[in-house]
Amino acid sequence: MSAKLGYIFIAPALALVVLFFLAPVLMTGVFSMTNMSTATGITGGSYQITPSVLIQLGDQGFDRKILKRIGSESYSISEKGLLAATKADVKTELVEELRERYLGETFASRRLFERFLKKLDNRPRSIRTLKSTSPHFRKSLIKERFASTKELLQSLEEMDLGLTQVQTDELVDASYTGWIWTGENFRKMFLLPETKQILLNTGFYVASTLLLFNIGFALVLAVTTFYLPKGQAALFRALWFLPRITPSVLYVLLWKWLTWDTGFINAVVTNFGVTPRNWMLDTAANAWVTVIMINGFIGASMGMILFSSAITSIPKQMLYASEVDGANRWQQIRHIILPQLKWPILFITVYQTLSLLTSFEQIFLSTDGGPGSSTEVWALSAYHTALDNYWGNLQYGYGAALALVLVVVGVIMSLIYLRFFRFDELIKTPRIEQ
Amino acid sequence: MEIVLENFTKRFGDLTVIENMNLKIKEGEMLALLGPSGCGKSTTLFAICGIHRVDEGRVLFGGQDVTRVPTQQRNIGVVFQSYALYPHMTVAQNIAFPLTVRHEDKQTIKKKVGEMAELVHIEELLGRRPEQLSGGQQQRVALARALIRKPGALLLDEPLANLDAKLRLEMRSEIRRVQLETGISAVLVTHDQVEAMSMSDRIAIMKDGKILQVASPNEMYQRPENDFIAGFLGNPPIAFLDGIISAGNVKISSGNIEFPCPENIEKHPDGSHISVGIRPEFYQPGNPYKIPGTVSFVEIQGRENLYDIKLKDGNLLRSIQSANVSPLSPGTKVDWGVNPEQLFFFDNSGKRL
Repeated sequence: MSAKLGYIFIAPALALVVLFFLAPVLMTGVFSMTNMSTATGITGGSYQITPSVLIQLGDQGFDRKILKRIGSESYSISEKGLLAATKADVKTELVEELRERYLGETFASRRLFERFLKKLDNRPRSIRTLKSTSPHFRKSLIKERFASTKELLQSLEEMDLGLTQVQTDELVDASYTGWIWTGENFRKMFLLPETKQILLNTGFYVASTLLLFNIGFALVLAVTTFYLPKGQAALFRALWFLPRITPSVLYVLLWKWLTWDTGFINAVVTNFGVTPRNWMLDTAANAWVTVIMINGFIGASMGMILFSSAITSIPKQMLYASEVDGANRWQQIRHIILPQLKWPILFITVYQTLSLLTSFEQIFLSTDGGPGSSTEVWALSAYHTALDNYWGNLQYGYGAALALVLVVVGVIMSLIYLRFFRFDELIKTPRIEQ
Repeated sequence: MEIVLENFTKRFGDLTVIENMNLKIKEGEMLALLGPSGCGKSTTLFAICGIHRVDEGRVLFGGQDVTRVPTQQRNIGVVFQSYALYPHMTVAQNIAFPLTVRHEDKQTIKKKVGEMAELVHIEELLGRRPEQLSGGQQQRVALARALIRKPGALLLDEPLANLDAKLRLEMRSEIRRVQLETGISAVLVTHDQVEAMSMSDRIAIMKDGKILQVASPNEMYQRPENDFIAGFLGNPPIAFLDGIISAGNVKISSGNIEFPCPENIEKHPDGSHISVGIRPEFYQPGNPYKIPGTVSFVEIQGRENLYDIKLKDGNLLRSIQSANVSPLSPGTKVDWGVNPEQLFFFDNSGKRL
């Protein structure tokens, strides 16, 4: 067979992998090295010296006198102002008067400028007109948008502030509204106290769900159904498969119905004098129990299927032998069945750890990280940071950095697990006994 | 320990596999359950050790009714056809398992495992895992595991089926040696008549869930109760020819021979059809009543030569002869004969006369 044919066959799959896996991972990597957010936008930005930029610079030790001057505004009669006034339908006579007699004059404040206007021949008749006329002549760096560095520098020069090169650079950097390349995200992640909390949450969530349900409960189900008659066992297993095959939105909605203030649990317990409450979000402990159960019931089915088939593949005679040897049910499970489930258990552990680390839709749909942020796990936090948060400033860059950590952890774990399980050994030729 | 099956009946769903079986295994003897596959011999074994529930009848161990006693408490050692060694345990742990589940202390277990390993000659294998053992070694481990807690009886389910010919021969005598040394009552399930005859004190031959005859190997070979048993025992197998009794003589049409009825069938009515069984060792050149034929197949076994002789009417006789003379080639016409005293006669129902 020619290798070319192989490449042709694999090309569609390869294209999909590149498009839907490698490209997103690569983009995550790229984004994580920026400070992109709703504020910066994802295209380029402009330069704008806002009051908050001035405060920020002041905090950084920038000369406050200069900042005050930058922050101040003045009014001057210039061609630019006159043109803007004409466009805004300011009386032509007034504009002509200003142009002919006062072009080039400057006033230190709005009060002074308006006082001057009131004395003119063609002065505005009403206070309202006066107030709408004056802004056209305002001259200020604040709130003005400069498309390029050059324009900003030009305006700064006009003000004759006597800036040093360092100060100029600082001003330019601080006033830039677009995104920039930065490694700040990772430093921030390391320093923020929330990170530690989210890390602990994630560890707790993964470990509890895995041990209690994906392994523990799955084992209980597999072993108990093994000892049941075939028909009942199949029914039981099918029942525990329901959470897996129900659409997650519907499944979580059922949990919400169950736990709401007016939901099923409350409908029952109020009869016994218990005050109704939201059983899902009442306390952090409640939230954890629900989150772990919601995810656990979904995850248990996979372990159950895998363990069940592993148990049924244990030769019947071996189980007979253990009974003949005097082992009771528990000893049979403990000494014969469980040791032979070593590999399936390890496999489920690794596989489910990866999947629990990265999937967050059930938590998102149920508690959404609440109450407070007590059930906020890493993946959910990345999603919240980057795509859906209360403050409205979506921090794509920081969110991507959080997601990248998950990607890196996932890749490392996958590599370990490929090495550890030695899939090549599974297909080695069997030893034939003679 | 004496084992007794009383009116033992076993059904799987609607299918009755064994009906009203009665069997007694004497203290210290090795009894072979011999029969073709599907005859219910393994089912009987599983009923004795309690893996299968007994539908009707009783199982008695040393006079005690254990019909409802669970497997775990019957104290029976079983060697399974696949040996059923626990793959995740070492040989020592495998052998020790029956003691481990009884929580015996480590020192005792270690001592007993050592003794058992010595008995079945696997002292140097204790640290290995089953997958690192040959079939014969696995067999020995299974035997040690079955015997370690001094069970009341030892049950062997086709223990040699998974071994190659040479090992089979070796393990045959090994199992017998261990059984004799320990003096344990044993049941050997097998479909191989050579195994049954060479290893056991008595054979219970089974067919379709019924025991046809229980006797010592020699007795059974010399005096089979019916044609099935005669056909099952002996290798190469016995050949049957149709005969008829007329006027105190036995006429065998395909051999065109006639001889006076031997004593045991004298009283059989005239004109009845019978079946005549001729064992290969009794169809020989020197015998008086000649049944001529043509050599159709020769199997040279070294010490002996085995001939298939085709008779004129297409029937087949077998003869086994010492290889002192050079073997005949196929197609050779022979004129070998039988001696009436050495023949078996069976009536229409297959019963030996």
